[in-house]
Amino acid sequence: MYMKMSELKVGDKAEVTSVKAEHAVRRRILDMGLIKGTRFKVLRVAPFGDPMEIFFKGMYLSLRKSEAEGISVHKIGYAGDGMPMSCDKEGRSCCGEAL
Amino acid sequence: MTERKEISVALAGNPNCGKSSLFNVLTGSHQKVGNFSGVTIEKHEGYLDYGSYRIRFVDLPGTYSLTPYSPEEIVTRNYLIDERPDVVVNVLEGPNLERNLLLTTQLMEMNIDFLAALNMIDEVEEKGISIDVKQLQRLLGCHIVPTSAKKRTGIDPLLAHIVRVYEKDIEIRKNKLSFRPVIEEAVDEIAGILRREKDLQSADTRWLAIKLLESDREVYHRVQQYPVWVKVELSLQEAMREAAKLYDSDPEMLITEDRHAFIRGAMKECVRFPEERKSTATDYIDMVVLNRLLGLPVFLFVVWAIFQITFTLGSPLMDMLETLFAALSGAIEPLLVNSTLRSIVIDGIIAGVGGVLVFLPNIVLLFIGLSFLEASGYMARAAFVIDKVMHRFGLHGKSFIPMITGFGCSIPAIMATRTLKSPTDRLATILIIPFMSCGAKLPVYVLLAGAFFPPDVAANVMFAVYLLGVVVALLSAKLLKSTVLKCDSEPFVMELPPYRWPTLHSVLFQAKIKAMMYVRKAGTLILAAVLIIWAVSNYPHSEEIDRWAASEASRIEESPLSAVDKKAETESLEYRAQSLQLQHSFAGRVGKVIEPVIKPIGFDWRIGIALVTGLAAKEVVVSTMGTIYALGQTDESSAELATILKNDPSFSRATALSLMVFVLLYIPCVAAVGVMKKEIGEWRPVLLYSAYVLVLAWLLSFVTYRLALVML
Ligand SMILES: Nc1nc2c(ncn2[C@@H]2O[C@H](COP(=O)(O)OP(=O)(O)OP(=O)(O)O)[C@@H](O)[C@H]2O)c(=O)[nH]1
Ligand SMILES: [Mg+2]
Repeated sequence: MYMKMSELKVGDKAEVTSVKAEHAVRRRILDMGLIKGTRFKVLRVAPFGDPMEIFFKGMYLSLRKSEAEGISVHKIGYAGDGMPMSCDKEGRSCCGEAL
Repeated sequence: MTERKEISVALAGNPNCGKSSLFNVLTGSHQKVGNFSGVTIEKHEGYLDYGSYRIRFVDLPGTYSLTPYSPEEIVTRNYLIDERPDVVVNVLEGPNLERNLLLTTQLMEMNIDFLAALNMIDEVEEKGISIDVKQLQRLLGCHIVPTSAKKRTGIDPLLAHIVRVYEKDIEIRKNKLSFRPVIEEAVDEIAGILRREKDLQSADTRWLAIKLLESDREVYHRVQQYPVWVKVELSLQEAMREAAKLYDSDPEMLITEDRHAFIRGAMKECVRFPEERKSTATDYIDMVVLNRLLGLPVFLFVVWAIFQITFTLGSPLMDMLETLFAALSGAIEPLLVNSTLRSIVIDGIIAGVGGVLVFLPNIVLLFIGLSFLEASGYMARAAFVIDKVMHRFGLHGKSFIPMITGFGCSIPAIMATRTLKSPTDRLATILIIPFMSCGAKLPVYVLLAGAFFPPDVAANVMFAVYLLGVVVALLSAKLLKSTVLKCDSEPFVMELPPYRWPTLHSVLFQAKIKAMMYVRKAGTLILAAVLIIWAVSNYPHSEEIDRWAASEASRIEESPLSAVDKKAETESLEYRAQSLQLQHSFAGRVGKVIEPVIKPIGFDWRIGIALVTGLAAKEVVVSTMGTIYALGQTDESSAELATILKNDPSFSRATALSLMVFVLLYIPCVAAVGVMKKEIGEWRPVLLYSAYVLVLAWLLSFVTYRLALVML
C-alpha cells in the first residue's frame, strides 16, 4: 500500500519510495540514509502527536510530520508495538541487514 | 635535539561519533563531550608529541555530509576543503556504521590523505556485531583502526597509522567510487570542460564536477565566475534532463543513491549483525521516557528533580560553609586593629566574596545535574518530547537543547544555537536564552528563598521562578516570531542517540572544573567588584554626620534615662548614623537617584545598587548586598546576609519575590551581552532586547510585589 510516511501508524513497517521536500531538508533526510529502498519501522509519536520516531539501519530518528509528508512509502507490514526488536526475520532489514 | 616535524590532523566525522572524546584522549585536552549531536560548535586544536613528530590535532564539529546544513557544519567543510590538513582521521561510530560511511564516501572523492578510526569498538563488540576490517579497508581504500575513546584502546595503533599515512607508507590502494553511467558521463564531460580553465587546472576537477551535479551552492559560486561556466551550465542541464528521462529523478538524488548502494554493498560484505536483535536498554527506557502520556511528566520531573537536588542537597553543605566563614571572620577580627582594614576584610571580602562562595555546593550540584542530562542522551529526547510545544511558540525542539544548557550558563548556550539552521530561529533562540535562569542567578534565589520561606517550600519557590523564566521565554519567542522574525521555520530531523552511562570519572571531572571556575570567578571578578563596592559605599565620609552623632551621643549620656534605655538609644543612634553615612557615600547617592524608579516594585536604594553592579556578573548582586548590608550593621560581628535581611524591616517576603523575578528577567551579565552581540553580529537587536527586558522585568516584578503584598 502506497502512502505518505506521515500517515503511518505506530508499529507500521514500510519502505521509502521517494523523498520530496525543500532542497536543504531533502538533503538532510538523504544524508541520514533515508533513501529510496530503506526499510523502517514507526516506533512512536511524541506526546502531542508530533514529531514521530522511526527506526532503521540500527538508528533512531525523529522527524516532524511536516517533514514526513514529503516522504512517500510503501507499507509492508505491521509489527504491533513500539519496539525495534519485533522486526526480526523478514523485517530484519530495518535493523541493518540486507533488503 | 632535532626539530620535530609537524603534522596537522583533522578529526572529522558524523555528529556524536566520539571525535571530541578521541581528541581528549589523544591530546589530553578537556573539550566538552556529550551524548547528542552538535556538542562541538567550533574547531579546537591540541598538540601531541609522538616520536619525532609533533601532531596538531583539530577537533571539528560533526557533520553528516560535506554539503553543509547548519552554521557549525560549515566550519568543518571549510576546514577540510580550504585548510587541507595533512591527514584527515574519519572517526566512525562503529555501532552505526552504515550512516557514518556516507561521509567516508565523500572523503574518498576528495583526493585527500585520510584514514578511519572505527570508534566505539567496545559497543560494537557488546552488541555482537562483527566487522571484517580487512575487507572494509580494501573497499574504502583507506586504513581503518578500531578504537575506543571510552576504554582508551587502539590509540597507539591510530597514531602509528597517522604517521604512516603522512609518510605515504600505505599498503591500501585508494579506491574510487563509481556512479551509474549517466552520472559518470556527466562528471567526465564537466570535468573536461573545467580543465580547460587555466585557474582550475590544479584543482580537483572530478570533485568539482560531482559537487556541481549535487547542486553544491559554494562550488556553484566558485565556478560561476569563470567564462567556462556557460558550457558547464549547459552540461548540467543536459544531465538533469537525462536523469529525469531515465530515472524520473535528478543527479543529486542519483549520486546519493549510488553512494548508499556502495555502502549497502560494503555493509553486506563486511558487517554481520547478530541473528536476532535483542531489545536494548534504550528501547526499554524510551518506552517510558518517550511514552505519549508519560513523556511530558517525566520531562518535568527530571527538571524539577535537578533543582530540588540542587537546593536540598546543597543547603546543608552551604550551611557548613557559612559556619566556616563566620568562624573565619570571628578569628580574624581581633587581629585587625585598623578599623578601615577590618571593615574591608569583614564587611567587604568576607561578607561579599565569602557570601558568594558559600553557594559553591549548589552550583556544583546544578552542573552535575545538567552534565548528566547532556551525557546520558536525554537532551535529544527532551527536544523530541517538547518539540510540539516549542512549535506552538514558533520555535523548534532543537532550540530546547541550548535552552537547557542555559540553565548552567548563557554563554555556551548562546553559542550552541549555531546548530540551528534557520537564522530567524537562531536569533529568536539567542534572545530568549537569558530567560533560562543561569547558574549565577542561583545564589540570589537560594539566598532569598532560603531566608524568607521554610525549607520545604523554598525549593518549590525556586522551581516556580525557573518555570516563570521558561514561560516568559516561550511567550517572548512567540512575540518575536509573530512580529519581527516571521518566516522560515526550521525543519526537524534529529537523531536520538542510544543512552550511554556517563562515567563517574567524567562527571566528577566536570564538577571539579566548574567548581574551580566558580572559585576563580569569586577570587577575581567578584573580589574586584566587592572592593569597588566597599570603597564607593564608604566614601566620601561625612565629618558632619560624625559630629552630629557625637553630640547626640553626649546628649543621651547626659539625659536622665536608665542605663538600659541609654544603651538602646545609643544603639539606634549608631544605626541611624551608619545609614546616613551610607546614604552620603557615592553608592548611596547613586542609589538614591535610582530609588524612585524601583520604589514601586519594593526595592530601596541598596537593592538598586546591587542590581546595577549585578550587570558585571549576577553573583555580584549577592556580594554587593552582602557588603552594603554588612556595612549597615552596627555590631561588628558579621551576621549572615540571610539573617540580616530577615531582620530588616524594609525587606519582606514580597520584596524577596519581587527581587527574584527582577533578577530572573533583567539584563544578563556583560559577558553574555557581549556574546549575544558577537553571535548576532550587530548591536541593534541586543540594545532593543535590553530595553525590552528592563521594561518586562519591572512590570512583572511590580505585579509580583503587589500581589504578594495582598496575598502573603
Ligand atoms: N562506549 C563508547 N562511547 C563513546 C566512545 N567515544 C565516545 N563515546 C560517547 O559518545 C558520545 C559522543 O561523544 P563526543 O566525543 O561528544 O562526540 P563528538 O563526535 O565530538 O560529537 P559532536 O561534537 O556533537 O559532533 C559521548 O556520550 C561519549 O561518552 C567510545 O569509544 N565508546
Ligand atoms: Mg565534539
